[in-house]
Amino acid sequence: MNAAHHAMTRTGGAARGVWSLFFHRLGAHRLAVGSAVFLAVLGVLAFATPAIEAVLGVDANLVDLSQRFQGPSRAHLLGTDELGRDLAARLLYGGQVSLFVGLVAALASAVTGTVIGLLAGYYGGKLDALLMRLTDGVIALPLLPLLIVLAALDLEKLGLPESVVQDPNISLYRIIVIISLVGWTTVARLVRAAALSVREMDYVLAATAAGAGGPRIMAVHILPNVISPIIVASTLSVGNVILLESVLSFLGLGIQPPIASWGNMLTGAQELIWSSPELAFYPGMLIFVTVIAFNFLGDGLQDAMDPRAMEG
Amino acid sequence: MSAPEHRATEPLLEVRDLVKHFTIGGKGMFARASGRVQALNGVSFTIGPGETLALVGESGCGKTTAARVIARLYRPDSGVVRFKGMDMATLKGGKLKSARRALQMVFQDPYGSLNPRLPIGAVIGEPLKIHGVGRAAERRQRVADVMVQVGLNPGDADRYPHQFSGGQRQRIAIARALVLEPELIIADEPLSALDVSIQSQILNLLKDIQEDRGLAFLFITHDLAVVNYFADRVAVMYLGHIVEIAPRAALFAAPRHPYSQALIDAIPVPGGGKRRLGTATAGDVPNPTSPPSGCPFHPRCARATGTCRETMPALVDVPGPGPGQGEHKVACHHPLEDGPLEDGAGPAAGAPQP
Amino acid sequence: MTRYVMGRLVESVIVLVIMSFVIYALIGLMPGDPIDLMIQSDPRLTPADAARLRAVYGLDKPLVERYLHWATAALSGDFGHSRLYVRPVLEVMPDFLLNTFNLMGLTFVISIVIAVPVGVYAALRQHSAGDYAINLACFAGISVPIFWLALMLIILFAVLIPVLPASGVSSIGGGGFLDHARHLVLPVVTLTIFSVGSYTRFMRASTIEVMRQDYIRTAFAKGASRNRVVVRHALRNALLPVVTIIALSFGTLFSGALITETMFAYPGMGKLIYDSIMGNDFNMALVALLFATLVTLLANLAADIAYAWLDPRISYKSGGGSPR
Repeated sequence: MNAAHHAMTRTGGAARGVWSLFFHRLGAHRLAVGSAVFLAVLGVLAFATPAIEAVLGVDANLVDLSQRFQGPSRAHLLGTDELGRDLAARLLYGGQVSLFVGLVAALASAVTGTVIGLLAGYYGGKLDALLMRLTDGVIALPLLPLLIVLAALDLEKLGLPESVVQDPNISLYRIIVIISLVGWTTVARLVRAAALSVREMDYVLAATAAGAGGPRIMAVHILPNVISPIIVASTLSVGNVILLESVLSFLGLGIQPPIASWGNMLTGAQELIWSSPELAFYPGMLIFVTVIAFNFLGDGLQDAMDPRAMEG
Repeated sequence: MSAPEHRATEPLLEVRDLVKHFTIGGKGMFARASGRVQALNGVSFTIGPGETLALVGESGCGKTTAARVIARLYRPDSGVVRFKGMDMATLKGGKLKSARRALQMVFQDPYGSLNPRLPIGAVIGEPLKIHGVGRAAERRQRVADVMVQVGLNPGDADRYPHQFSGGQRQRIAIARALVLEPELIIADEPLSALDVSIQSQILNLLKDIQEDRGLAFLFITHDLAVVNYFADRVAVMYLGHIVEIAPRAALFAAPRHPYSQALIDAIPVPGGGKRRLGTATAGDVPNPTSPPSGCPFHPRCARATGTCRETMPALVDVPGPGPGQGEHKVACHHPLEDGPLEDGAGPAAGAPQP
Repeated sequence: MTRYVMGRLVESVIVLVIMSFVIYALIGLMPGDPIDLMIQSDPRLTPADAARLRAVYGLDKPLVERYLHWATAALSGDFGHSRLYVRPVLEVMPDFLLNTFNLMGLTFVISIVIAVPVGVYAALRQHSAGDYAINLACFAGISVPIFWLALMLIILFAVLIPVLPASGVSSIGGGGFLDHARHLVLPVVTLTIFSVGSYTRFMRASTIEVMRQDYIRTAFAKGASRNRVVVRHALRNALLPVVTIIALSFGTLFSGALITETMFAYPGMGKLIYDSIMGNDFNMALVALLFATLVTLLANLAADIAYAWLDPRISYKSGGGSPR
């Protein structure tokens, strides 16, 4: 009992230790903390845009040609665009789209990559060879040209029902799908490598010896032990997804007007750089700051979740 | 096919002619295999209900592979593993799962054998969950019971493995092995990763379990001193072969294989310190990718002759008065005579030179 | 080694063949096939005419049959005509190729020249203010949307301070080396900012890794000077993985080049691909996309082979180990 008591007091500290160490390390990464705060604020603002519009008395989609190219004023905090729409409100809607696309596509990519990586790493053999050749193949492709082709496809020729093709949000769903189609490779490789090493651990053998099947071993024993690299890679990939979304939208192949996105706001602004360069400044700056925030956050998480610190 | 339930006269576990080779390297479309480790080369033994067989040998001799093939963590290349009358090597799906209920493992490294992300209550209760035993509350009760039996505080069930010492972790691993009330526990070097001061505690725990529950053990170790305390019978392995198998007393009193003799000589004597294996043998264990011809032990054996270099000796009954026919077997062309050799003289003195 | 190279070559060819089919199929799914375009341009065509035209062009056949027909012609060197440029596609490509080669080659050289010393400097002064600043700059380069960067550079250097041309490869009627060079400045700067951040981070990480190795400590222990150790021992070994990663990131650089070319109206392969897709020039798009895929695959292959060749620890003779 004495020994057990000792163990309890000692280990109580260690239990807090893991998480306090995690937050301590993350906290030491001031950029990561600042980024997390920024992203949280941006997220709240972006998804509360209708309320903000109501409070400010503006409408992001209200075209008012008499109010074109207004400078910042009390009515329009950042002024208006070439159609007299409130720039600040449109930027917030664009943020909503970018964050939504970034998070959902990163999540979908992470899920796909995790499943593929687990199957390849745990079962090995021919399945592994096949899946990894597929992964290598996708990685070896020139990404952006391929995405442009995918984004330009005629959905009716793909045989999708008209109700889907006519959906006003179709450009949103489509961009998420095509980015997820090519975005899973990093996570798949990470998870496979981790699964390969974890599956040789004695605790996996112990579970097998106890009668556990593949799905249980993958879900209970392997997945929790590979979750840190998945989180890090996915956080970093949100930034990449936002970049891809914005460039496709900018090229006219992503989010379609009237839905505002930072990318397609720049399309209009491009033609006006001689007269109103500031219209091109804000959306790009927001993309830049948001992407760099996700990258800082991912970098900080990577340091904080260093497996050498989490073990023991 | 025999009936699923074994009769008392049948052994609980029968292993016959087990062969398992591993290929090293050589993956990928255009690569070729570069080497094969012959981990098991025709291993046979039996374990009766409630009996403890110790499998002894230096690291790399195939003990762990044997344990893992028996538990069907690896498939054997050939040979039979008959557990409770069922062929473990070919069982599939539900039958394999139910066979596994009665056969549990304890691993060497209690740091590696417990999932760091699961609280120990979940670790110990996992076999119950896998086999769908009881409801959550019943399972919790059984986990608590078994924790008490192995000397853990049931109140610690929500703590994580890293919060426990090595000895406590091994208790957790033992509790996990016991929770389904198996008939056979395969313990793969359960002491060697522990501090010496802890080893005896765990050994005593295993001894208590052995005595209280009438469990059969396949106890894998490199330490003959532990064997002397714990085993009913002993099988000595060398490079994938069983070179001698005998009741414990017979082996310690009169080892027939020079390698067994060497292992016994290496047991630390109280006050005398530990002697190296080298008193009876020279050199290291050969590379298992290219085992020597003939008797695998001949390069290290002082008694080796030309025959030893050419032909592999069969595992045969030791002739003469002994504990009974069939119980003491040795695979050696020149087995040692009755009684251990004089201490200090070394086997080389009396060995016929080629 | 030969065996390994052959194996990887076969793999690459398989990927290329699969991709040629996938791209062919995808292009068939794009809006506006040749007949649609003819109908649009000539309202007198009846549906019956359209069907007849489809049969003439073989567009009514199953996909696989059409693909095989295209592939057979392609293997004999006939890749069809470009709709936009009204010439055989193979004749269109060389000019664009040369322009992209100039853009990417210059960017690559400049990026390496910056990334190697800066990465090593940051690695040797880990956690210093300089390292911190370099790290921030790298993150900025990695995170900046390249099309917006191009826009900002155009606003800055072509609109606000009009010192550099914002589009094309040469002035109208102009030419000459200096004129070409002036037109390359903004595209190369854009693409360099896009690529140099990740190269520098690779270099930094690789150098840190190498400096931890025992042979570096041995070299220091033997009394070698810091500079000597860095140049003679660390740099060589740190460059190996960097070369590999950079070759593997060829596809990323090409994606960046596509945007850069589009932004600066710079007639390179990326712009060619984009224009031909948007302009329904399917023969051109197909060949240009396949060519981009081929070059990316070759870059990957070169990276793998270079790695195998440069790293003495990996033996590819008679299957000494798994290649990955």
